[in-house]
Amino acid sequence: MPTAGECQRVAWRPAADIYRTRRGWLVKFDLAGVRPQEIELVASGRQLTVRGLRRDCTLEEGCRYHSLEISYNRFERTLELPCPLDAAQITTDYRDGMLLVQLEMENPEE
Amino acid sequence: MTVERAAVLPVLPLKNSVLFPHLLMPLAVGRAASIAAIESALTSEDKSIFVVAQRNPEVDEPAQSDLFAAGTTAVIKRMERAEGGMRLIIQGIERAELVSLETGEAFLKAQLRFLPEPTDEGTEIEALQREVLQEASRIHSMVDPDAQLGLDQIMSQVSEVLHQVYLLASMLGLGLPQSQQLLEAPTRLAALQLIHSQLRHEAQVLELRQKIASQAQTEMGREQREYLLRQQMRAIQEELGEQSPEQADVSELRKRLAEADLPDEPRKEAARELGRLERLPTAAPDYQMTRAYLELILELPWRKHTEDKLDLPSARQILDEDHFDLKEVKERIIEQLAVLKLNPRAKAPILCFVGPPGVGKTSLGQSIARAVGRTFERMSLGGLHDEAELRGHRRTYIGAMPGRVIRAIRRAGVANPVLLLDEIDKVGADYRGDPAAALLEILDPAQNSTFHDNYLDLAFDLSKVMFITTANTLDTIPRALRDRMEILRLAGYTDEEKIEIAKRYLLPRQLREAGLTSEQLVISDEILARIIHRYTREAGLRELERMIGRIARKTAVRFAEGHAESVEVRPDDLSGILGPERFFEEQARRELPPGVAAGLAWTEAGGDVLYIEAALLPEQKGLTLTGQLGEVMQESAKTAQSYIWSRAAELGIDPKTVQQSGVHIHVPAGAIPKDGPSAGVTMATALASLYSGSPARSDTAMTGEITLTGLVMPVGGIKEKVLAARRAGIRRLILPKQNERDLDEIPEAVRNELEVLFAERIEEVLAAAVPDLGQRLGGSKTSYHATGDEARLVAKGN
Repeated sequence: MPTAGECQRVAWRPAADIYRTRRGWLVKFDLAGVRPQEIELVASGRQLTVRGLRRDCTLEEGCRYHSLEISYNRFERTLELPCPLDAAQITTDYRDGMLLVQLEMENPEE
Repeated sequence: MTVERAAVLPVLPLKNSVLFPHLLMPLAVGRAASIAAIESALTSEDKSIFVVAQRNPEVDEPAQSDLFAAGTTAVIKRMERAEGGMRLIIQGIERAELVSLETGEAFLKAQLRFLPEPTDEGTEIEALQREVLQEASRIHSMVDPDAQLGLDQIMSQVSEVLHQVYLLASMLGLGLPQSQQLLEAPTRLAALQLIHSQLRHEAQVLELRQKIASQAQTEMGREQREYLLRQQMRAIQEELGEQSPEQADVSELRKRLAEADLPDEPRKEAARELGRLERLPTAAPDYQMTRAYLELILELPWRKHTEDKLDLPSARQILDEDHFDLKEVKERIIEQLAVLKLNPRAKAPILCFVGPPGVGKTSLGQSIARAVGRTFERMSLGGLHDEAELRGHRRTYIGAMPGRVIRAIRRAGVANPVLLLDEIDKVGADYRGDPAAALLEILDPAQNSTFHDNYLDLAFDLSKVMFITTANTLDTIPRALRDRMEILRLAGYTDEEKIEIAKRYLLPRQLREAGLTSEQLVISDEILARIIHRYTREAGLRELERMIGRIARKTAVRFAEGHAESVEVRPDDLSGILGPERFFEEQARRELPPGVAAGLAWTEAGGDVLYIEAALLPEQKGLTLTGQLGEVMQESAKTAQSYIWSRAAELGIDPKTVQQSGVHIHVPAGAIPKDGPSAGVTMATALASLYSGSPARSDTAMTGEITLTGLVMPVGGIKEKVLAARRAGIRRLILPKQNERDLDEIPEAVRNELEVLFAERIEEVLAAAVPDLGQRLGGSKTSYHATGDEARLVAKGN
């Protein structure tokens, strides 16, 4: 569990879409430019939390910012889903800058 | 609890603000060092920077000592380059403490130690948190009462207590020291206490500001407030039974109205005006006007009368005390008193005293008032030519006043005074209306019971007023007006009367004026007669009184200088005191040439002797008349000429003389206008004398109107004429037969001095006046009123 202090050190919140699937839920986070190894996903109770760090990378030597709109540094996003996730089977996929989280229930009707 | 973390970050010094963790802050960056620091941060992977406030905002290139130790790490979320700098949005992340500053590069780099976020808890924190939120939302509603989003809603989005505090601090815009203190607060409790005290302070400031603002607003509405206060005061005063000045004014008038004895109509009108007055503000121009009108209504004596003294003997005594002689007038007053005694409702008569100046018309009016026991008021109509003067102006005009009649009644204070209208013959008329027309209404007993004054606009009863008018002549009084008045003539006084009056009234009065006693100055009858003859020529007494006054003053000077014990004026003294004699007793011409006859004329100043002169103009035609003769006089000259012409043969006149020459008639003095028919006989006499070449008697004067057939008609002013003839030294008079009874007016003593002949026809006049013609006209009759005690003796001429 992150400490309270760490919780507070968030610079941005990634956008997320939530899909209802036949087997459960699909949650899509917009995490472009975040290295997969720097993403941490936690499911606890009904909450699904994604946090991590987006690091900027210098594309070319000697260039400098003219303007900046993308948020870097630490991010965290907690979603609350309508059902407990403890029993869910979680699979993740990082595709084209999106983190796809599949939550498949034994009994999705519950 | 946590491992102490550390970092090295570029430093962004803030001049005037403190960035709190978790909060976004827009920034404009211009300083080169700051820009370099940001450039450096941007090149980093995580865009982190250390933001710290400067202790002194004035410093441009701060050293460590210029910066607070505690700051906030931040992430740059947006950046745009702008002219000469950057615009940023940074987000505070967590608190950190500056350990050391590296100043090697173009910007500052800080060695940091992160400060742990306080996590202390307790009921005190909870209580303070609630208190803070409540205070904050109070302030919020004070600052922006119309805010759509309540502070509670905003706060509910933030769960962490400390973050709420930070958010509140940024929303309040705390000053730099307070913000820094808050940032450095080691515990939640300390932070809450800080923000709480700040909120309290802010609330007080706001309340004060609101109070000041509302005071200013009140100031602007001061007038309205004053008005409201006045209304309240009035209500309070009413409640207490007190009154404001204008109300006192109105209620005073109301009280007077209740007490006044008014007829219904004026009372209704006054009540209406009073109601209007109450609704008017005191400053309104109508206020004073209405008030003046009300006062007039209240002051007018609608029903107030004085009781007439109907004691005839005492009235007679008063009249006799004040005036000598004037029997006819006094008798008339006594008659009126008798009538009033028998019929109190009798209409007051309107008397008109006609007579020359100085005979006592005005003082007689006063005397009548005294005798009857009425109030006396006098108004002079001389020179009056504006009808509005009598009747007043309508109240719609600014400065409108009631007319003179109503004003006189108001002054008198009773509805039945003796009102003397002086000089009624001098009333003029112009485009503003004819005052005489208004006088018609005033002086008509049938109409004046409802006299209408334009200002008063209510009928006022003048019928109980005893009007007395005075005039010098009746000629200029319009006929309609003359008809309404009872004419009483006050002819001039005879010398004897004058002496009597002088002894009884004038001399004592002048002695009184000069502060002398009757022993100190003695003026004998002889002296008085001399003064009357040689120094005055008047019908009245004014000049005589002035002369006596002059003697009294000169005497007073001698007494004052201690020269004399008592003075008796001697005839020789007179010229020394009064100057050379002005008039000569013997005025009559000694001899008259043919064509001149003495006539008697009546003037406003009394009677006069005038000589009519006629001259033949051979080889000329017609009649020339000079001497300012009026139309009537010219006609009477023509009548005289025609009569003489038609009777030429009988009078023994050569018709050729009459036919072949013109005649010029002149009446001196040439500059004085003359008119009237009474010179007819004199002209006929002058012409007869002229044509016949026989002179008329120089001791004879005549008066009378003639007709074409030779009848002698009666004329007026006999008394004045007789007295004038006597003054001029003429002792023989020819008067119309029908004027015989007028001789009664003349005192016995005078009558006895004179030889008076009465004529019915011109032949009788001619016979008496021109001795030569008398012989030719033998056989005509003349009534002869002889001198002495023989009374009337009818003599027959030869």
